[in-house]
Amino acid sequence: MRDYWLSKLFFDLQSSAPLGEEYRGSPKQILDRYPLKPEVRTAVERGDVAFLAQRVNPYLLRYYFVVVGMSEAEFLRKVRTAGAAAAARSSHG
Amino acid sequence: MAKLVGVFASSHAPLIIRSWKDVSPSHQQDLTRSLTEIGRRIKAARPDVLIEIAPDHWVNFFINNLPSICVGMGEMHEGPTEPWMKDCPFKKISGHPKLANHILQTALELDFEPSVSHHLTLDHGFCIPLWRSGLDPLPPIVPIIFNDLEPPYPSVRRCMQWGTMLAEAVQSYPEDIRVAILATGGLSHSIGEPTMGEIDEPFDRECILHFEKGDERPLIDFLNERLPTIGNGAAEIRNWVAAHGAAGKSGFEMIGYCNCPEVYVGCGFASWNLGASV
Repeated sequence: MRDYWLSKLFFDLQSSAPLGEEYRGSPKQILDRYPLKPEVRTAVERGDVAFLAQRVNPYLLRYYFVVVGMSEAEFLRKVRTAGAAAAARSSHG
Repeated sequence: MAKLVGVFASSHAPLIIRSWKDVSPSHQQDLTRSLTEIGRRIKAARPDVLIEIAPDHWVNFFINNLPSICVGMGEMHEGPTEPWMKDCPFKKISGHPKLANHILQTALELDFEPSVSHHLTLDHGFCIPLWRSGLDPLPPIVPIIFNDLEPPYPSVRRCMQWGTMLAEAVQSYPEDIRVAILATGGLSHSIGEPTMGEIDEPFDRECILHFEKGDERPLIDFLNERLPTIGNGAAEIRNWVAAHGAAGKSGFEMIGYCNCPEVYVGCGFASWNLGASV
């Protein structure tokens, strides 16, 4: 499933360098412009890769974490952990 | 009448630009050799127009309006907007509206339903192969975007049919021009997924073998079975399938393959031998 407004946030941020800069300085102001569900907003604020990965296109997920400045190594670690967690959940029915 | 004078395919891994210095010298050499050879062959074909098939990496389209296949009709296209593509020499790229319109009309007459755009931005998927293969100055480009990024994707079979139709469109275009096709993307890679960074070389090798054998059904069956099981980036092999269809499903020649973990991609480069008539 795709979360439309989460996807739109990520799409907009990777489309506009000035918006990305503004977001890095003041994320709350930008997040207020998007009608995100509370749990989705919390996941964005926490940088919860595993939660977000289930709701957006993988390319947009990656672009978002480039915009916010997460290192490649950290992103790889988190996205792989998210995959392992999902696999574990799946194997437990 | 127009003539199809060349069909080519090339990977377009972003890290070839973003992190070139981190690519090992031997892989740099492999990639440079293959891209240079693609450029040499395209130049030798002397195309007046280049039809380029590539995905859109969230530059032109979003999930509120996501065409399956879109033909770029514009007189001029924008060059890439990714910040790390700032050194790309192609800021504005000429189109060829007359050939684009002929492709559109041919498609509609043959029961295809393409989307159209009169002003596209050509992202790294289009521009890295053009840039790194040394095609400067560029011939006019007719861009065709295949949705390889966000499901639902066009079927592999439909992509093959698109290629066959493109060849018909070229051959029925009334002006005496030379046209080449360049498909970009693939081979195996995974972006933003738990498998990010994994390259499936056995898959790539088997895929290459199917292209070399040429037969349509085994290639389609192989991709239908395997694409859902490997990294999302391999969806771009649909573009190679369209090229294969345009080339008449024969004559595939691998120019180079580089399993290049530094750029996360099993990088492939190929051309199709169209026979001596060109």
